[in-house]
Amino acid sequence: MQGQVRIDNLSKTYHTRQRKGLFKSEEKRVEALKGVSLEIKPGEVFGLLGPNGAGKTTLIKCLTTLLLPTGGEAWVNGYHLTREANQIRASVGCMLMGERGLYWKLTGSENLIFFGALYHLSPSARRRRAAEIVERLNLGDIADRSVETYSSGQKMKLAFAKALINDAPLLILDEPTNTLDLPSARELRAVVRELNASGKTVIYTTHIMAEAETMCDRVAIVDRGEVLALGTAAELKASLGREEVIHIEGVISAQAGEAVQRLAGVSRAVRAAVDGHTQLTVVAQDQRALLPRLIETLTAHDAVLQKIVPEEVTLEDVFIARTGRTLADDTWVK
Amino acid sequence: MTATIRPSFRQKLSAALAETWLRLLNISRYPGQLALEIIIPIVFAAMPMLLGRATAGANAAANFQANTGTSNYVAFLLIGSNTFTIVSSAFWHIAYWLRFEQETGTLESIYLTPTTSMTLAGGVALYSVVRGLTSALLAYILGCLIFRVDPFAGDVLLALLFILIGLIPLYGVAFLFGALVLKVKESNALVGLMQWVVSFLMGIFYPVAVLPPLVRLLALLFPPTWMVNGVRSALLGMGFFFGKWYLDIAVLMAFALSVPLLSFWAFNRVEQGVKRNEGMGEF
Repeated sequence: MQGQVRIDNLSKTYHTRQRKGLFKSEEKRVEALKGVSLEIKPGEVFGLLGPNGAGKTTLIKCLTTLLLPTGGEAWVNGYHLTREANQIRASVGCMLMGERGLYWKLTGSENLIFFGALYHLSPSARRRRAAEIVERLNLGDIADRSVETYSSGQKMKLAFAKALINDAPLLILDEPTNTLDLPSARELRAVVRELNASGKTVIYTTHIMAEAETMCDRVAIVDRGEVLALGTAAELKASLGREEVIHIEGVISAQAGEAVQRLAGVSRAVRAAVDGHTQLTVVAQDQRALLPRLIETLTAHDAVLQKIVPEEVTLEDVFIARTGRTLADDTWVK
Repeated sequence: MTATIRPSFRQKLSAALAETWLRLLNISRYPGQLALEIIIPIVFAAMPMLLGRATAGANAAANFQANTGTSNYVAFLLIGSNTFTIVSSAFWHIAYWLRFEQETGTLESIYLTPTTSMTLAGGVALYSVVRGLTSALLAYILGCLIFRVDPFAGDVLLALLFILIGLIPLYGVAFLFGALVLKVKESNALVGLMQWVVSFLMGIFYPVAVLPPLVRLLALLFPPTWMVNGVRSALLGMGFFFGKWYLDIAVLMAFALSVPLLSFWAFNRVEQGVKRNEGMGEF
């Protein structure tokens, strides 16, 4: 086994109840993961990029043994997912659930020391480790206050600190910058980079394209429980071939968007609401040749155009090209 | 400094004690609750005590002696209500532990660590024993002082032995109940119902001998019934179910060996079932 994490055809199906009123409900079968296979190399920051509901958290919950997969196999740090679950838990540091995974009546330090005990650190080691983390993440001012008095961002930082308590070789971080303000998010990303530079492998899930692009050595684009694309950001962008992207902002009706989609040379045209206006992302073969026809078609459909920007391909464009949706659109797994 | 992959017994014990300490820290932030826990069993015992005095008057003790084998109905009721405090604590603390952690999101956090649910459950049980026993003992002594009976009459050590051995199957039953809470994702109504059933079966206000035969048989299948009768017999000399204290202790020990095994098996099955489906965090 080469990879630090090896996932072989992993699937997860569960049953949930779809509510139909006060007492009526019907059982629904959800395929949250559909035969996911991938390998994560030691020392890399591996990104799982996808919209909410794509299956990223389910995959992480399976890898951290919180959920039993329905089919397939996986190895984490060389341990088998179902046969050596305890060993996996001991060798992984995980930030999941964000601020909800903390004891709010306890102080930050008390939380860290408690979780150190659950990772079987000796009493002196857990206190020492907690103090080191508090210092490294600049939590000194709040470490002795009960968590209930923390801001949302401070709670997220403490949740991240908790993931470091066992000094594991593999860190799994599920949307770690959620609810953080920009400076705190930047600070957290810097710590993740430092940890990676010191040899830790990181699995980093996010639905923020720019974050995946800057943080991750390789990215898997996940949607509807499947890995749609896998590679470095450059490889994924190059996978669009000669296709280029044009972002158009303004007031653009659904009919106008559909008309653009029908134009020759257009692979995808996806509308999304962004900051109170509509953004149309057009993936096309030759934007220079397309542009006059594009403007003509949109104006013919009463579109009000505010900005037309031919842009460099991003990971979000790769996602759009593969799924026909933006990352802002939640996925509803069927 | 990676976590130990194969923890020793000492490391597991340390994790369980950390869980106990966490619970104690948490409750120390609600001091009023502890004071209430000492008052409740006294009030609970006072109601039937005063009813008895109101209905039987000066003959209350004699009537009670004729029906139960002891004239000390005050101590009888105080023992009943305080043993019930221990039993009730076990159910509340185990059921509420799982439910509360599920609702606040910390259940998934602790399931991410290599500490097993059984070790954690051991830590919670120890916390519950410390809290339940302390409250019950303080309430018993205070109740005896208020109602002017000797709290240390009879064989106190034997009474403690019944309590200590009885705690093992009691927490076994509580974990069985915890498995049910994990399955149906409900604790309050279940514990509320269970409290009435338990108080009825274990005979907190009466000896189980007065129950109808079938109900009595059901009561005798329930370990706390043996615990409370053992304590009363040791302190008030009422008579053990099998005549000799060591035979009743043997029954409690049989419960102590079998009930935890059954409950761990059931808990493990439910836990695996939850992991196979929606996961521990769904509530």
